Amino acid sequence: MFLHYIDLSWRSIKRTPVISFLMVFAIAIGIGLTMTSLSVYHMMSMDPIPHKSGNIFYPQLNIMDDGNEWHSSDNLPYQLTYQDAINLYNADIPVLKSPSFRSGFSVHLNSPEVKPTMEPARLVNREFFTIFDRPFVYGAPWSRDSQDTHEYVVVISEKINDRLFAGKNSVGQHIYLDNNSYRIVGVSANWEHHVKYYDVNNGAFNVAEQLYIPFSIAPLEEIGTWGNMNGWKHENSKGYQGLLASERVWIQFWAQLNTMQEKQQFGDYLISYMDDQREKGRFNREVLEFKLRNVTEWLEYNKVVSEDNRILVGLSFMFLLVCVSNILGLLLAKFLKRAPEVGVRRALGASKRHIFAQHIVEVSVIGLAGGLLGIAIAQLGLWGVRVTNSYYGALANMDVSMLLTAPIIALTASFLAGIYPAWLVCRTQPAIYLKSQ
Amino acid sequence: MLDIKPIFNAIRRSKIGAVLLLLQIALTMSIVSNAAFMINDHVSYLRKDTGFPEKEIFSFAVMTFGKDRSLSQQAEVDETMIRNLPGVINATLSQAVPLSGGGSTSTMRLRPSPETSKSVSVAYYNTDEHGLETFGVKLIEGRNFRPEEVIIGDDFNGNGPNTIIVSQPFVEALFPDGNALGQTVYFSNRPLQIIGIVETMKSPWPSSDRDEITALVPFIDAKNYQHIVVRADKNERANIMANIEQNMLDAYDKRVIINVDGLDKTKENYDATDVLMMRMLIVLVVILLLITALGIFGLTQFNISKRTKQIGTRRALGARKSAIVRYFLIENTMVCMAGLFIGGVAAVVLGDVMMKTYSISSLELEFIVGTAIFIFAMSIFAVIFPAMRAANISPSIATRSI
Repeated sequence: MFLHYIDLSWRSIKRTPVISFLMVFAIAIGIGLTMTSLSVYHMMSMDPIPHKSGNIFYPQLNIMDDGNEWHSSDNLPYQLTYQDAINLYNADIPVLKSPSFRSGFSVHLNSPEVKPTMEPARLVNREFFTIFDRPFVYGAPWSRDSQDTHEYVVVISEKINDRLFAGKNSVGQHIYLDNNSYRIVGVSANWEHHVKYYDVNNGAFNVAEQLYIPFSIAPLEEIGTWGNMNGWKHENSKGYQGLLASERVWIQFWAQLNTMQEKQQFGDYLISYMDDQREKGRFNREVLEFKLRNVTEWLEYNKVVSEDNRILVGLSFMFLLVCVSNILGLLLAKFLKRAPEVGVRRALGASKRHIFAQHIVEVSVIGLAGGLLGIAIAQLGLWGVRVTNSYYGALANMDVSMLLTAPIIALTASFLAGIYPAWLVCRTQPAIYLKSQ
Repeated sequence: MLDIKPIFNAIRRSKIGAVLLLLQIALTMSIVSNAAFMINDHVSYLRKDTGFPEKEIFSFAVMTFGKDRSLSQQAEVDETMIRNLPGVINATLSQAVPLSGGGSTSTMRLRPSPETSKSVSVAYYNTDEHGLETFGVKLIEGRNFRPEEVIIGDDFNGNGPNTIIVSQPFVEALFPDGNALGQTVYFSNRPLQIIGIVETMKSPWPSSDRDEITALVPFIDAKNYQHIVVRADKNERANIMANIEQNMLDAYDKRVIINVDGLDKTKENYDATDVLMMRMLIVLVVILLLITALGIFGLTQFNISKRTKQIGTRRALGARKSAIVRYFLIENTMVCMAGLFIGGVAAVVLGDVMMKTYSISSLELEFIVGTAIFIFAMSIFAVIFPAMRAANISPSIATRSI
């Protein structure tokens, strides 16, 4: 029966090619536009690390003396001071945690054959790789020992390994970052993320850093941040050592807290830590304040999905609604014109349900065709997005779930448009039409 | 005279067509007026003067890893080398590149802290006496820095500069009475005397709300990562940009030259998100209007085909062709007006919701009125052709089949 209905709808579509094409086109345009904005939105808002996003936390401390304001929504600084980051890392709590900040170096082999290039780098502790589940192609993260003894070691990305060592196992070799030689301990797999969720302060859609070196090297080489640095009080600090002791915030921090209990303990620790610091003259405030946000909450808090994008998604769904009402009009015209034919079929014994099903199948065929054409239009739209803004390069793509969503939205839209006309036509009284023939 | 009552009754009898049309017009109205308003917002931002001759300026970053030379001496050598290149107008070291999205801001106040006084957040460029000409901004009062006023060092508080050049909006914010020249402002508690005022000089963040209050500070703190801004003849710029990396490496090779970009390109990158939003909105509006026009066209066509006999009868009874056309025009106008009214209200509500949820200014009335007029004109246009065809229905059709 279903195949028969499909056959019938194909005949019907062929009989009115212009109207049918207009309907398919209207759905396709609506789907194309909606899917373009929805795909970008989907990529932006997708959970970047689904199996752990609820367990990785970003601590924020309110370091400011009473009477100072921060420009965040809850008056908490987005980053930590160097001293707080170091103290939190060294705290005697058995959870994985790591400070981190973004910097960069010129990379070379100290030989004239390889032209130096500039590469962004991240200074982290070894736990960073475990917290974020970074797979290694060769080697492993540096040891606790080399971290504590300030050994000059580096984890390079697959990309750099391909360029400098032709993809061979380079563990144990040395490369130069600026003027210093570093021993390669590991080659990490390329990190391809849509959202750079572990560092949204410096461009949430930037690509991953290609080098990782121990955080403990920062004070030795006086490595500055490539990211934001903010202060809240006037300090007469001088030079890098002054920065390390200052109240300026520029370090990010992540901790993996697997259970509610661990989170509670970590929170309790933060309070006691701040209380302790208050006695030493910092945190001159009535109420000690901190926040622990997991990855999902952190992205939400930092408004990673842009307003513009939310607006566009909303507008394009309204646009789809206009397309639906258009198609409704066209279907009405088309189905009612066919009333005499339906009258005959009803007289020959087709039930109302049969007529209704037949027309809904026809509508679905149109919807499905529109959905498929809509995917093509969306690809065109996403190509336009990528050309206009290379920053969105990784975002302006349709993944499998979006490819499946498109026909579903198209079918829903066509049902929405088709139900009323189909219902109207199935109520046709056969008598009227038989009479006039 | 206009037969409104019978037309209204006719509409009531075939409600669904009219309701669909009304719904479509209302939706289109509310979407288009809001989208047009946002497009206008983006366009007027993109067209704003930045104060810089963008096509003459380019910048690049230098990352030095060699430790065998003094960075500030090397910077002097580099600047002189670049200035001597044919076609170059001037060049300067700057800790921030205009319109790039990366730079520094600080609070400047009328009295040193902890005294309370009027203060303002300023985006500043640390440059030397060549900065003014390199940036190409227009000096409207005062003078440029003298070479001896430019401080080279890394101790701003201890041995920093004593002068500053500020933008006109800076003056308006801190000295509403004018007379800013010669006054002192405190930057990190260091007193700086205002010696010059430039007309327009955008910050590194032209789309933010801190886009205009800017200053030039004569302080050079050469670091291993720094920016050099160059202004050159418009026609020579591409050539100079192509060779700059080699020129710089020839002068000293223990460094990396990156991000060689024209200022127009820098701005383009910075604005890419705005341009994207604008383009998507324009595409949305254009297609939406087209679809709605087609919808109106289709529905009128459908109405007419249903009423062929009725029209023939009216013609046979003596109605003029113009009366038939008028009938459809009035019918369309009635539905359209109702749709526009509902759509207008919806547009205001939608604009209000968006203003509350997002950082968008409230929808201006003229966009609603403008959109309404446009949609109305478009609907008349979509109706007039089917209506004229309807008027040509011969009276004999009506009589034949009865």
